[in-house]
Parts: sequence; structure tokens; C-alpha cells
Amino acid sequence: MTRDATTPAASAAGSDEAPAATALSPRNAWRRVALLFIVALAASTLAYLALVVPGAWFPSAAPRTWEAENLALTRGSGILSGGELVVTAPDATGLTLVSVVAKFRSADYPSVAWVAIGIPESADVRVLWSSEYAPQTLRNAPVKIEAGRPLPVVLSANRGWVGNITGLALSIQGPLTQPVRIRGVVAKPMGAVEILGDHAREWLAFESWTGTSINTIAGGADIQDVSLPVLLAGTVALAVAIGYLLRRFVPRWLPLPIAAVLMALFVAATLVLDVRWTWNLVRQVRATGVQYAGKDPRDKHLASDDAPLFAFVDKARKVLPEAPARVFVIADAPYFRDRAAYHLYPHNVYFDPLANSIPLASALRPGDWLVVYQRRGIQYSPAERRLRWDAGQSVAAELKLVDPLGALFQIQ
Amino acid sequence: MALILGWLLPLVLGVALIAALPRNERGDTGAGELAWTLGSGWFIGALLLTFWMRVLSAASVQFSALAIGVPLMLAAALLLGLAWRRRRAQWAATLRGAWRAFAGKDLAGWPRAAWLALLAWLALRFALLLAEVVWRPLYPWDAWTQWATKARVWYELKSMVPFVPVAQWLEANGAAYYDAAPHYPGTVPLWQVWSSLLLGQWDDALMNLPWWCTGVALTLAVFGFLRGEGFEPLAALAGTWLVAAMPILDVHVALAGYADLPMAACLTLAALAGYRWIQSRSPSDLVPALLFAATLPLIKNPGRIWLPLLLPGLVVALWPRYGQRIVAGAFAAAAVALLVLAQTNFVLLGYRMHLTLDLPWHGLIDAYFTLANWHLLWYAVVGAAILGRRHLLAPTIAPLTAVVGGGLMFLIFGFAFTNARIWVEDQSTVNRATLHLAPLLFVWVILVFRAWARDTRTAQVPAAPAES
Repeated sequence: MTRDATTPAASAAGSDEAPAATALSPRNAWRRVALLFIVALAASTLAYLALVVPGAWFPSAAPRTWEAENLALTRGSGILSGGELVVTAPDATGLTLVSVVAKFRSADYPSVAWVAIGIPESADVRVLWSSEYAPQTLRNAPVKIEAGRPLPVVLSANRGWVGNITGLALSIQGPLTQPVRIRGVVAKPMGAVEILGDHAREWLAFESWTGTSINTIAGGADIQDVSLPVLLAGTVALAVAIGYLLRRFVPRWLPLPIAAVLMALFVAATLVLDVRWTWNLVRQVRATGVQYAGKDPRDKHLASDDAPLFAFVDKARKVLPEAPARVFVIADAPYFRDRAAYHLYPHNVYFDPLANSIPLASALRPGDWLVVYQRRGIQYSPAERRLRWDAGQSVAAELKLVDPLGALFQIQ
Repeated sequence: MALILGWLLPLVLGVALIAALPRNERGDTGAGELAWTLGSGWFIGALLLTFWMRVLSAASVQFSALAIGVPLMLAAALLLGLAWRRRRAQWAATLRGAWRAFAGKDLAGWPRAAWLALLAWLALRFALLLAEVVWRPLYPWDAWTQWATKARVWYELKSMVPFVPVAQWLEANGAAYYDAAPHYPGTVPLWQVWSSLLLGQWDDALMNLPWWCTGVALTLAVFGFLRGEGFEPLAALAGTWLVAAMPILDVHVALAGYADLPMAACLTLAALAGYRWIQSRSPSDLVPALLFAATLPLIKNPGRIWLPLLLPGLVVALWPRYGQRIVAGAFAAAAVALLVLAQTNFVLLGYRMHLTLDLPWHGLIDAYFTLANWHLLWYAVVGAAILGRRHLLAPTIAPLTAVVGGGLMFLIFGFAFTNARIWVEDQSTVNRATLHLAPLLFVWVILVFRAWARDTRTAQVPAAPAES
């Protein structure tokens, strides 16, 4: 047995070698496994590009970008803010229309990508364009929305995508559930290098912690045309298939057990994924350090996303008695309800984790406390010292703390 | 410093307990023993710590670092003394061997370089995760609506005051507490209470150190298990890295505060300790296995399901002749019952016994195969099940196959027949539920793959010995 047979792959897979193994050193054999991986990856990539490149593989045109400053909000209302066109409402007919004057050859740019977020998935979204070929006709094509973002539209096969393009527009038909933020529009040549670069950027995009990170990890950008795990798994499968055929028909070329080859390829593919993941983790730790390192627990919360809420609760805690008291917390947003309650423990806190409800007045007892944070529908009459809310409920209460974001009452 | 010393105490206690337990010759394999003992030992100590805190609370003794720590220190000293008497002759050799293995001195050339590189890679990962745990205040949602809520109250009041549903809370007039999940068990919050007592203040970043310890302990235990199963050092370390590198597992260390990672560690260690006991029949494996298994329901409510799902593995192991048939029959009966309930609509004792089969394929494929949650775990599971199909029921693998098979059926049942399907479609809980089984699943994949690899070797070299 050679020393190399004690490698993970070989030790798990057995230390045998194919009948014609003697001619090739183990080191060279493993190099050929690496070559297999590269060849399979190249073959997968070429096959993918053959399917998705709509025009020339190496176009001479460069991508053309129009920033938010170049856009005109033709229908609907909004403002330009921080390099984004923020559309707050459609017009009376429910239409939002954003346009830009452009001039480029359609043949050079088979794809158009609007860069925006916050678009309702239920809306009818279209890209529109006019051309010198038919200046009186406004052509359009549907745009797919994923996670509030418009996906790039490939127009090369569209019969109206001819001649020189003179204008582009994005139409959103339907109500807006939140402001739509539009950064601009890009006309893309969609060459092989650009497509691969786009995918690399998607995979390497920094995915910082969010509220959903505990549940799922996208692996880079929120929206990805190609999943890296799928690509690598496919590459491993293809490489093993090639390796199997080589061992069968040219055994001298790959004198390693197929199980060892499979395991080595699997480890290599996992390593690629893990390097990406670790790089993301490095960037996350750097960001976390900037935000929190060197701070005491209180200052960490004041540097946190919920700093205003924490500051308010901090003030409320100074008004509340030392000994744990019954405290009811109400807020419109579940995040504020739950989070305020968390900061208030070890007071004996009540909050509704599921619904924006307020307990019946009969549930409140003299001496109880009520924290109101960004909650509509609560009225307090200082003259009557009375608190009123939904469905005619009311209770005698004294206002103990008021803040632009919330208030603290003690039930009388 | 108090925090570090305080969390070393469970390590010493657990290691001392395992070392003090009698073991027979088959239970003393040597390779990887120290790693297994350290990993499973920390977890045992951390669980015993919570048991003792429950005892103190039941006896109305207020929590304090002394009230909790001193008796555990005494217990650890006692067990260490017993372990010293039992295994005095082996300790020096075990430590020397472990150091040689750690430094890669048993390897040479590129395997040694790969060993050291992989160790450094793992060290980098855990250093990054430690920074996140130490710096970031409690972050994920459920951590501060249903777990640390209890910890904060118990720490401040020095006792495990009850958490009750809202109707009872309204009647309790301040004698009981309420949060988003008052019925959830207290093991994980008790860890945070212990951290806070050591720190002397409520620090909702540092109190989460045990999550990092759990990640390290699980990693060590998996390595020790694989070495004990005869994997070469580098192969065992590579297998361990595959488990520790799963992104969703790392996230649950970094964004500490959920009970899913402790659940995954406890389930994995219960199954692996049980597997070791099947091989060794040694009390030093049996006691940890029983302890881990018994603790499952005390970590999170799904533990009540995971506990009985360990039984098929035990049945298969203890009755090799009929066990597989019994388990296969039970699984088949469960599948038929599900299908019948899905096709009928009868009422029993007033309950409508109808199940709607609606497996959210798209969400499941996204979670397992497309997104970056698991690296290539699920491709490996599919590959192992296909390539190693003839070995799934081999005597050495069948017990784990029964456990992971039951576990997968449980997950699929939840996703296909209950409202949990919504959590698959929106990617909210599917990965967290799966995390419980994932480390064990990867270990199973590694064992199946080795069996298949050995089989291909014997097929190619007729003279080679068959799998033992």
C-alpha cells in the first residue's frame, strides 16, 4: 500500500488500484481527478452558456446603464431619494409608469434588466419600448417578479425588438403595497463573459444576517439564476460519469477506485461551497465587529436595529417599580410588541405574539402598567385620566411617561 | 474568565462521568476516544447542570454560582477520583496519543499537510462563530420571544418560576409568567441563566456561549465516533468537517438562542452513543446514550417524537434476526395508515380523522438542493441511498438506517400532512426541523459510503477479505 492510500478517499474507498495502475504514480492519478473536475465544470458551463446566451458569445458592446436620475415618473407619484426613484403610489387608474430616453441598437442588447425592489408579485409588470423602426408603436413584454424584484427580460426573440431602440419604460399595473424603489435600468449584451460574471456576483454577493437567516441561507444574492450547489453537484455527477467510462475503456488513464474518485470530487465541490460560505462569514463578522465590538450590553442594544425601542423601554423601566409588576405591551407591529416585552422582563409582561390585540378592560387591574408603542387607536384624556381604545373599551389610567414613539400608563 | 471557567465545569463533570463508568475491552477502542469523551462529555455535563438547577429550584434554593457550581465541582472531583482509580494506567498514553494525532505526527507528506490545513480551516470557522456569539446581542426572533424570556426571569428571580398560558396568567395575579411559548421546556434557558450567574449581569450576547460550545462539542464527538469506527485520521477529520460545515448548523451557532442546535446535538449523540453501545455493550456508552435520549423531550417539544424514533434502531440492533422485519412492518403499517387516512373521511370520538396529502415539493427541493443551507448533504443522501442500497440493512448500518429512515418519515409526514407544509413553502421552519436530524444523517451517509466503497473494492479484487 502506498502512503497516498491513507487519504480520506482512498482509506474509505479501499486501497486497491485498477489492474493497470503500476504505470502511474498516485500523485499523477489524483492530478487527473482534479483535471476531471475541471473538465466537467467546463463542460457544464459551456452547455449552460449554449442554452442561455441569446446572441453573440463575445459581443463588442458594453452594458448600458441609466441611473435613477435619468428616469422619468410618467404615471404615479414619488420622489428621487438617495440615488433611487421611490414610487409611493400609482395614478388614479392604478398605473405606475417609469420611462427613460435611450438610443441603442437592439441587436447589440438582447436583454433589459430593471433594478428595483418592492414590486408586488400580484401586479402586472411589463417592460415597454419604442424603436425607430416603428416609432408609433409601443411594444411590451411581461416581467417576472421574484421577492419584489423584476427579473431580467430577454427580448432577442421578440419580433418587436428590432432596429434602434429609442425609449424604455417599466409599467406596474395594480396597487403598491409598499414604496417601489427603482435604481435604474440596464441594457445587457448578454455575452458569455457577462453572464458568467453576473452569476459570480450573485454567488459572491454579501448575504448579511436578517430575520430569516435562522431559517434559510440563500447562498449569495436573494435571486440567483443558477444555484451553485446544483451546478457543483451536476459537475461531480458528470465527472464521475466520465471517470467511470475512462476506467472502463482506458483503465490505465485513471487507476483509482471509482469510490475514491467520487469521494474526492464530492469533497472538492463541498470545499468550493464552503470557501464561499466562509468568505461570507468573514464579511459578516467584520460588520458585526464594527457594530458591536467593545460595547457593553446596554450600548450594544443602543447600536442595534431596535435602538429607538430599546431607548424608550429603558426610560420606561426607570419609571416602573423595582419589583416585577404586571405590564401589558401593545403595538401595531408584532416586532415591536414582542421586542418591547423582551426588554421589559423580568417584569411580568403580557404581549400578544400573534395578533394586534388589546386585552379587555376587565383584564386590567389597578396597579397594572400599560406600554403603548406605535399603536393607533389609543386615546388618552388627561382631564378624565381615562384611556380608551377599540370597541368602546376604557379604563382609568395615569400617564407616567410620554415619548414621540410611545407612552407608559399605570392603571388606576 | 468566570464564564469560561463556569463552562469548563460541565466539561470536567461530563468527562469525569464517562471516564468513571466501567467499560469492557470492546468499549475501549483507543482511536478517537479522547475526542468522543470531550465532545459527548461536555454535553453530558451541560445537561447534568440543568438537572441540578431543576433540583435546586424544586427545593426552593435560590440560584447562585455557588449553589450550582460547588456541588457540581464536588461531584466532578469525586468522579475524577473514581476515573483515576479505574483508568490510571491509560491516561498518560491516551493523552500522548491524542497529542500525536492532533499534531498530525502519525501522518507524513501531503496527508499531514491536508490534516493541518483542515484543522486550521475548522479553527477559523469556530473563531468566526465565536466572534459572532460574543459580540452580537440576542438576535433571532424566537430566541427573544420564547427562550431567553424564561432565562431573564429565572436569572433575575433566581428560581424557575412557572410560565403559563395566557388564561392562567390573567388569573395568577403576578404569580406566574407568560411568553410566546410558555409550554416549552427549560433546558436551553437554564444554560443562559448559568451564564448570567457567572457573568453577574444580564448580557444577552455572552450568555450564549454554550451554543458555541455545543458546536465544538458536536464536532469533537463526531470526529471521535468516526475514528472509533475505524476511519483513518484524515478521513475522520474530513467527515467531521462535512458535518460542521453545513451552513444552517453554523448559523444556529452564530445566531445563538434557538433550541434546534442543542436538539440536533442531543439526537446525534444519543444515536451515536447507542450505536457505540451496540458494538461495545459497555456501560460507558450505554449511560450516555440513555442520558441523551431521555433528555430529548427536555430540550424542545419535538424531542417527544425523536425519542421514540430511536427505538427502531434499538429493535434492529438487539434482535438482528427479526428486528428488521418488525421495523419494516411498523414503517409499512404507518405508511398504510397514513394513506388510508388521506383517502377516507371517518370520524372517531368526534375528531375528523382525515389527512390531506400535499407535499410542497418545490419548497422542499429549494430548501434541500437549490439553496445554500446544507452544502451537498442531500445530494450525498440520495447518492448513498442509491449506491449503497445493498448495505443499508447490513448489520453494522441497519440500526442507524432505521433511525434516519424513521426520522425522514417523520419530517415528510410533517411537511406533507400537517400545516407545517406552509413552513416549507415559505422556507421558515423546514430547515430548522431538518437540522435536528442533519448531523446524524451525514454520519450515516459516511458509513454507508464506506460500506459501498469497500464493496466495490472486493468486487474488483476477488481475493480481498469481505467487509467485517
